[in-house]
Amino acid sequence: MKHLEKGVGLASAPRDFLRDLNADNLSAGLVAGIFGLSAGIIHIGAGTAAGLPQEFTLLWVISYLLINGLFGLFLPAYYRLPLPMANSIPGALLFAAIIPIVGLNEALGATLIAGAIALVVGLAGWMSLVMRLMPMPIVMGMVAGVLLKFGTNMVMPLQNALLPAAVMILSFFFAARYLRRVPPLVVTLLVGVGYMAISGADFSSVAFSFRLPEFIMPSFTLEAFLAYGLPLALILVGMETPAGVGLVKGMGYQEAPANAITALGGIGTMLSAFFNLHSTCIAAPMTGICSGPEAGSHDKRWVAAVIVGIIFVVAAPFYGFVFSLIEAMPSYFIAIIAGLALLRVIGSAMHITFSGKHEVGAMFSFLIAVSGVEIFGIGASFWALVLGVAISMLVEFKDFEFSVASPGRRKADVTAR
Amino acid sequence: MSLFKDASLPAITAGFVAVLVSYSGPLAIFFQAAQSAEISNVMMTSWVWAISLGAAVSGIGLSLWLRVPVVTAWSAPGTALLVTLFPGLSLNEAIGAYLTAAVILFLIGVTGTFDRIVRAIPPGIASAMMAGILFQFGVGVFAALETVPALAIGMLVAYLTFKRLTPRYSLVLLLVVGVVLAVVLEGASLDGVSVQLAAPQFIRPEWSWHATLSLAIPLVLVSLTGQFLPGMAILRTSGYDTPARPIITAASLTSLATACFGGITTVVAAITAALCTGREAHEDPDRRYVAGVANGLFYLVGACFAGTIVALFTSLPGEFVAVLAGLALIGAITGNLSAATDHKEHLEASVITFIATASGINLLGLGSAFWGVVVGALAYQLLHRPFALPGRREASSANARS
Repeated sequence: MKHLEKGVGLASAPRDFLRDLNADNLSAGLVAGIFGLSAGIIHIGAGTAAGLPQEFTLLWVISYLLINGLFGLFLPAYYRLPLPMANSIPGALLFAAIIPIVGLNEALGATLIAGAIALVVGLAGWMSLVMRLMPMPIVMGMVAGVLLKFGTNMVMPLQNALLPAAVMILSFFFAARYLRRVPPLVVTLLVGVGYMAISGADFSSVAFSFRLPEFIMPSFTLEAFLAYGLPLALILVGMETPAGVGLVKGMGYQEAPANAITALGGIGTMLSAFFNLHSTCIAAPMTGICSGPEAGSHDKRWVAAVIVGIIFVVAAPFYGFVFSLIEAMPSYFIAIIAGLALLRVIGSAMHITFSGKHEVGAMFSFLIAVSGVEIFGIGASFWALVLGVAISMLVEFKDFEFSVASPGRRKADVTAR
Repeated sequence: MSLFKDASLPAITAGFVAVLVSYSGPLAIFFQAAQSAEISNVMMTSWVWAISLGAAVSGIGLSLWLRVPVVTAWSAPGTALLVTLFPGLSLNEAIGAYLTAAVILFLIGVTGTFDRIVRAIPPGIASAMMAGILFQFGVGVFAALETVPALAIGMLVAYLTFKRLTPRYSLVLLLVVGVVLAVVLEGASLDGVSVQLAAPQFIRPEWSWHATLSLAIPLVLVSLTGQFLPGMAILRTSGYDTPARPIITAASLTSLATACFGGITTVVAAITAALCTGREAHEDPDRRYVAGVANGLFYLVGACFAGTIVALFTSLPGEFVAVLAGLALIGAITGNLSAATDHKEHLEASVITFIATASGINLLGLGSAFWGVVVGALAYQLLHRPFALPGRREASSANARS
């Protein structure tokens, strides 16, 4: 356990939560929470595409909200850092696709092993080592590449929903300039809801429902492990955690507990396996929203992540209801809110990417992550890191500093914003 | 005549390499534009003839007149713009936009307002738009990884190796290796390549608002900020205190003349200029103008045999051209992105300019480069103008420090 980083503790967390709560981190937490809730649509879509019964996909999302939410309450509160927890989207797509082939219990058995692998990596302290040796511009190139899609998704609605999209985006800019006491995201949220109210969105399909996660016993086969467990472990350790940790570090939290995030994600994933869920890990887009400048003053952004956890846990049993609500809203609504919330995060990430050192490796990392290319069934963000470092070693070896000592250099200018 | 007295082998070689690099990399983008416009090889030959002739005439004329190595070429970011606009834009409208852009550049040239205009454009926004236009080419390299993995990986490795060993010749060597790989791996046949003289084709220009906003205005902007500005900067850092006025005026007049044959705006070279203005061209700065003249002469040769160049590119697979164009632009994309994100005081506006331009959005029939500038300028005005009250930001940074 010696590699697990120490945090502030939980004893005074509820009191500090109320003390540090402000309009900025509340609105960022709210936006990240709504974004996380809407991600459930991807799970349901993937499940439907794989021919899984709707009964199961709903249960799946309810488990993800409750389990990810509980871990997402604990981790940021203990470390006082903006570390919201969710699950891996690439992992979810893999999970949905593999169930018809190997069976649900077998897939969950492979999930359990993948969680155990992540736990071992975290406990052994390998994650913080990797994060220290990995040059920051290359990590941030990958992060910027992953997040860029959310930026372009924000402007794309201008094409087919010009008026509401333009009004929402403009309201953000105007609020940022003229309404200095209200977070611009809140203004945009209200403007969007107001527009829907006036234009008369169809809420007739909204229906109330209540369900709790159900226990299930995993079983183990080699086939399920090779086809899904091993890739999932790679996704958790090689993609999700480096992206989340890199992002938090880039936002000025150098002390981000890389080992604890990996280990806790491992435990969460092992627990998930008993409740129809494929993983628990740190989530890059939500981390971006909670740890970025929109979440207000630097040492209080952890509150935003806790709020995400609260939203998840509270919304979990009612997800059938939430789902019908999200379905009734136009799709551009969440795309624009999330894009605006991430705008400055993307900017900061790109600023670090192109800060000078490892320029070629960072550029390639960025391009690969944007391209979304898949090699051997493993996603682009993993290859962005691997190829980015390899190319950087080939072309600009002089930029590497092989010191295991912690780089104490803080990105002061990022934190100030 | 002193030209013969001043001529030297290094200067002529520099001019030759500059032309070779232009044909190896930036021409691949123009070729992609031609593919998206679905034009015939005869028409494409005319395009290559026109841009080469424009570069040749303006380069030779300016170098001899000013006694400075002025390397001219076609507007590479301009050709990148074309890729997204065709085939929605008609050929005739494109020519109309070339003419409009040439007239605007001519007015900027003769009135001597170049420096003032360039200063008025926020540097981060200009770079962000350039990066956004060029970005899709960089991503294209990795998209090719999925369709033709062996060719893409081979060219990528070759590019990185040559970049490490001989950065100066890396693009030329990449072209050679790429052609060999395409023939060996993808079974491309070079049988159709033969020596033939080019015949220009006249295209009737047509003026439209759509083409003016989507193509002409962005073309002027990227030519000013992406070509004339860095091109003049290269000349000045090499010690040539040349005024911008005659260069822009002459280049825009050449553009006017070649436009109707498919020649996109002629500008000062940015990617290849440094090859001819530095010490490699000649020890004596006063004799480097020969490199500019030689560069022009080799372009003249290229213009005559434009058909051969086109035949070479058409006989190679489309993915080859995509990878070549992407790798040729990696340096430019990196440079523009780091310039865009360097200006922290208007980072948000730069980022949103980049995002909007790179998104490839098409709205009201206008391309994403235009909307990138509109959105970026709006964000810049609202978020970053000095008279905006930055109270919110100051308050939050004060909190961060406490």
